[in-house]
Amino acid sequence: MSKSTAAANGHSLWQKMPKANAELFALTYGTLVTELVRDYESTEDINEQLEKMGYSIGVRCVDEFLAKADQAGMVIPPCRAFAETAEVLAKTGFRMFLGVSAEVQMISDSSFSLLIYENPLSLFVELPSDPKWKDIKYSNLYCGILRGSLEQVNLRVECTMVKDVLQGDDVNEIRVDLKEVLVDGAGEEYDEE
Amino acid sequence: MSSSQVLLFVIVGKNEPLYEAEFHKAGTAGSSDSVTRQNYFVLHSALDLVEKAAWTTNQMYLKVVDKVNQQQVSTFLTAGNIKFMLLHGGRSEDSIKSFFSDVYELYVKLSMNPFYRYDTPITSKSFDTRVRAVARRYLA
Repeated sequence: MSKSTAAANGHSLWQKMPKANAELFALTYGTLVTELVRDYESTEDINEQLEKMGYSIGVRCVDEFLAKADQAGMVIPPCRAFAETAEVLAKTGFRMFLGVSAEVQMISDSSFSLLIYENPLSLFVELPSDPKWKDIKYSNLYCGILRGSLEQVNLRVECTMVKDVLQGDDVNEIRVDLKEVLVDGAGEEYDEE
Repeated sequence: MSSSQVLLFVIVGKNEPLYEAEFHKAGTAGSSDSVTRQNYFVLHSALDLVEKAAWTTNQMYLKVVDKVNQQQVSTFLTAGNIKFMLLHGGRSEDSIKSFFSDVYELYVKLSMNPFYRYDTPITSKSFDTRVRAVARRYLA
């Protein structure tokens, strides 16, 4: 799957998706984060909860992605290299669900970084200047989504937010590391004798 | 003591001031302690008059609500009942109205921040920088 097809697919899938108001979306996510802040004490807990929520979302995202692509008559072939997965995620997946494209920076054969310049979740957000907010990963939901969706296609990954515009960097960077390619199977009990 | 050199801008919530800024004309030094205290006194004593004036019109911009000596207090009332008050020594209505409109826009963007709670003191540095820039533009 070449880069330009991935981008073109992403754009046409985005056109077909039902849209929500960007401000409503951002404000809803904002109140979600502030509720978590009220419920949990440490920023690690908050980040972990966001990642878990993202995981539940991601598990459902990949089915929707493949179903919508099929409906639109696109062929998304199985990826032959992790780099292909990265391109499809960045150009088609992100574009389809959020309307923004991400850029891929390959670090090695089994890890890459996604660079997101415009983050629809953090519209209007400014983190308070208290030092305890230094470690909060506001957009950690993305990490969970990536982990959840890739697990459904048998790729176990670990995702972390490396750079965050809200913390002062110039771009949002998510690092994705492939840990294991899972094997389909129902478990040992079902092995045939 | 030329009091049109110093402008005092205060954002007042239900119970307490949320934001304060003094704007000086470029080149002049900050005002002395007694002048500052007098400014605050005049501005806060105008609060009752703001409440009264709010009932007379359905506009957000309440123009000049109080005149003391050479100083005037102009007020803008936001939709959430937050009062923007400006103590000045006579500026054109239009420039004050534009100033208030721009600050209102900045205030709305600030209140969209999920980490800012309504009616709490405003501590954002970027808000402060932007308000001062607006003041320089319309009130210098």
